[in-house]
Amino acid sequence: MSAIKRTDVTEPSDVIEPSTTDGPRPRPGPWPGSPGRPAVEIIGVRKQFAGRSRRSPGRPALDGFDLTVAPGEFLCLLGPSGCGKSTLLNMLAGFSLPDGGQVLTDGRPVTGPGPDRGVLFQTPTLFPWLTTLGNVLYGPRARHELDAGVRERALALLQTVGLADSRDAYPHELSGGMRHRAAFARVLVNRPRLLLMDEPFGALDAITRVAMQRFLLDLWQREKITIVFVTHDVEEAALLGDRVCVMSGSPGRTRALIDVPLPRPRSVADTETLEFVQLKRQIREALESEPANEH
Amino acid sequence: MSTDVSSPSAPRDTVAVVVVKDEASRLAAAATTTLAGRGGRTFSWSRLLFGLLGLVLAAAVWELISHLKDDPVILPTVQKTVSTFVDYLSRRYPAAQGKTLWQHALVSGARILAGWGAGVVIGVAVGGIMASARPIRHILDPLIEITRPLPPLAFIPLFIVWFGIGETSKFLLILIGVTPIMTIATVTALDAVPPDLVRASRALGASPLWSLLTVRLRAALPPIITGMRLAMGGAWTSIVAVELIAATSGLGYVINNAGVNLQTPLVLSGILAISVLGIVFDGLLRLLHRFADPSTR
Repeated sequence: MSAIKRTDVTEPSDVIEPSTTDGPRPRPGPWPGSPGRPAVEIIGVRKQFAGRSRRSPGRPALDGFDLTVAPGEFLCLLGPSGCGKSTLLNMLAGFSLPDGGQVLTDGRPVTGPGPDRGVLFQTPTLFPWLTTLGNVLYGPRARHELDAGVRERALALLQTVGLADSRDAYPHELSGGMRHRAAFARVLVNRPRLLLMDEPFGALDAITRVAMQRFLLDLWQREKITIVFVTHDVEEAALLGDRVCVMSGSPGRTRALIDVPLPRPRSVADTETLEFVQLKRQIREALESEPANEH
Repeated sequence: MSTDVSSPSAPRDTVAVVVVKDEASRLAAAATTTLAGRGGRTFSWSRLLFGLLGLVLAAAVWELISHLKDDPVILPTVQKTVSTFVDYLSRRYPAAQGKTLWQHALVSGARILAGWGAGVVIGVAVGGIMASARPIRHILDPLIEITRPLPPLAFIPLFIVWFGIGETSKFLLILIGVTPIMTIATVTALDAVPPDLVRASRALGASPLWSLLTVRLRAALPPIITGMRLAMGGAWTSIVAVELIAATSGLGYVINNAGVNLQTPLVLSGILAISVLGIVFDGLLRLLHRFADPSTR
């Protein structure tokens, strides 16, 4: 509910229209009484995968993991498969709970899934029996908050993601990129404080993928939403993120936290600059380096 | 132990599940493979024409053989069969206090709807419970695997002893044919719902119950309807056997009785009536399936 308060200062239906003022919008405190709290705090989190049988010990996915994400930050989690980055994201989304330690978003411990944290999966996971508009309205309808204002906002959102003409189409009639954009609209209509993305563009072809990256950068630039973005693509991480958290497994731990000093707004053309190439090398070296502190 | 909050179909083991899945995929494959093949999305005149051509060819072969045999008891001609069929639509069989073919069809249809309807309800309920509670699944799975391959015919003597020769036995015979198919179809359909679909709905703010009703069950609906179609086919298949039990009405009774009296045209008329009814019922369920699954429209 409190997630809605942020845009209430402007027009109610003005969801991801560009801000009228230049420069970054001031970010009011996310929750009343918790000004200045990080958007995400992960403190000493432990998570064990259940063993195959009762006798074999579980494999630790994460062991004493720490991470802090500032409000409005775009953080990329980069690492090989099995390093625990998806586990981490699932705990942020509330799909699973940590075995130890704390996971906080906006200063509150995560106890379960909720609409304040938008989740985008590897596949768009649209509901195939609902139209595009029906999919976008699923969240408000499920929370029994569907009214004329929400409907208007959903239509405006479909306009922004370029699906205004496809609002009555079913998911199987949309292209891969359109499905992803519909999934964005479905999440954004809930005005989440935090977007959790688990390799969302991994299954797309290269051209659509670049288009979706541009789309995401535009969106984030306007919305200044906090994003935690899981990927195993070095270039994608460097292009999108404010910071890149390079992880290694197992158990998953932070190999390096690399700031991305590239200026915003960024575009795909920036990937050809020398600065970018050097940054990519730095990230790749961090990814491939022998961990100093293991064993 | 893992503490998954919302993942309903955590990885499941056991051979039984594999068997269930295997069976259902076979059933589903059988369901989608109609005579016309898989391309049933758009109506086309050429397909209709070819379909009619096939029917005409079959009738021609029938006609040819009946003329060669020249014995209406072994194989009456097409005209003779059709005229008998039309005749008995308004004529009573048997002549004394009997029913017309329409009324017999109505009786059989009612028996099937009762047994099939109850079987669908029980099968979906049992399947739903099995898909959500693993201990119950382990208890019920062998029972279903044991009853599944049994032909309803095998239960006739038992049911006569237990329930007599009334409608109860007939109802139960259809029921035990339908229930295992529906149970298996439901379990498989619920298992096949992608966990991320349920997670997505929970992350959008749906409560566990809302998510169960509007996503898990909704996503499983099209394959469950496919199971209903298969079960309906099975019910029609067993109707003749069911109506062997001291029946005085029903299409199965007509076929049995006419057969005993060597009234072959009437036997064929009864068969024709069953096939027409079967197509009608299946068509209705297909419509329901189209309604439930937009991607097949």
